[in-house]
Amino acid sequence: MKISSKGRYSLEALLYIVLQPEGDYVSTRSIADNTGISVGYLEQLFIPLRRAGIVRGVRGPQGGYLPARAPDKISVGDILRSVEGTLVPVACGAQDRLCDREKNCISRHTWKELYQEISGCVDSISLADLSESYKNMDNADYMI
Amino acid sequence: MTISTRGRYGVRLLIDLAEQCAKGGDHVSLAGAAERQGISLRYLEQLAVILRRSGFIRSVKGASGGYALAKTPDEIILGDVLRILEDDMLVADPPAPDTEETRLQRCIRQTVFNKLNERIARVIDNKTLASVAGMTDSGESYMYFI
Repeated sequence: MKISSKGRYSLEALLYIVLQPEGDYVSTRSIADNTGISVGYLEQLFIPLRRAGIVRGVRGPQGGYLPARAPDKISVGDILRSVEGTLVPVACGAQDRLCDREKNCISRHTWKELYQEISGCVDSISLADLSESYKNMDNADYMI
Repeated sequence: MTISTRGRYGVRLLIDLAEQCAKGGDHVSLAGAAERQGISLRYLEQLAVILRRSGFIRSVKGASGGYALAKTPDEIILGDVLRILEDDMLVADPPAPDTEETRLQRCIRQTVFNKLNERIARVIDNKTLASVAGMTDSGESYMYFI
């Protein structure tokens, strides 16, 4: 049930971007320096994130990435789905007619319920919420 | 973010045992379960070992032996079963003891991962095998009489 490193790194990169002054293009170099994620890996992550309309990028020396929409309009679910593909824990939970046992499959309801719970959770957290909780993080709490 | 075949098939084996038992059988041969569930016998044998070792099922010896649930379906919690079959049900590993988590990582863990883990746990820990198998009073399918 693990979120892949693609998912974890995308959240980190996007949180870093929204924490920068609004309107500044954030270079992959600066994300890499501050997160430890390699530039190459970041470039790969930004392909699906761009395609999903989550970030937009500009080339060139002053280039970099910006959130493509307001951070409160980008949910953690949007980000995870664009890089993870799907959040369905069991394929049949979201789609009908995937399995010929479907009609008699009793466990399907449970998987469906689990999927709805996961979706509901990640869709209710926006990038703005993340940046808010970052700013509210207690320094004392941070130093364990 | 998926539940593996091991988790899904393990749950199906338990449902099969519960259903057969509800129909009056006191145990199930794995070959029969394999046929009903369309899962290979060899795979079910591996799952049965894990499920027996963790106390969800018991083996019935003899020429027509097999397996039976070790508890009633309403005593078997789905979360317990999945955590055995899937190792854990966490969406992210806790930080390794010897690594320092960055502030960004900590924020994401607290705001997203911990919340997801809680929500998932709430669903699977509130479900018994009886409710997964539709054997409770509120279930649409059929009633289960002990």
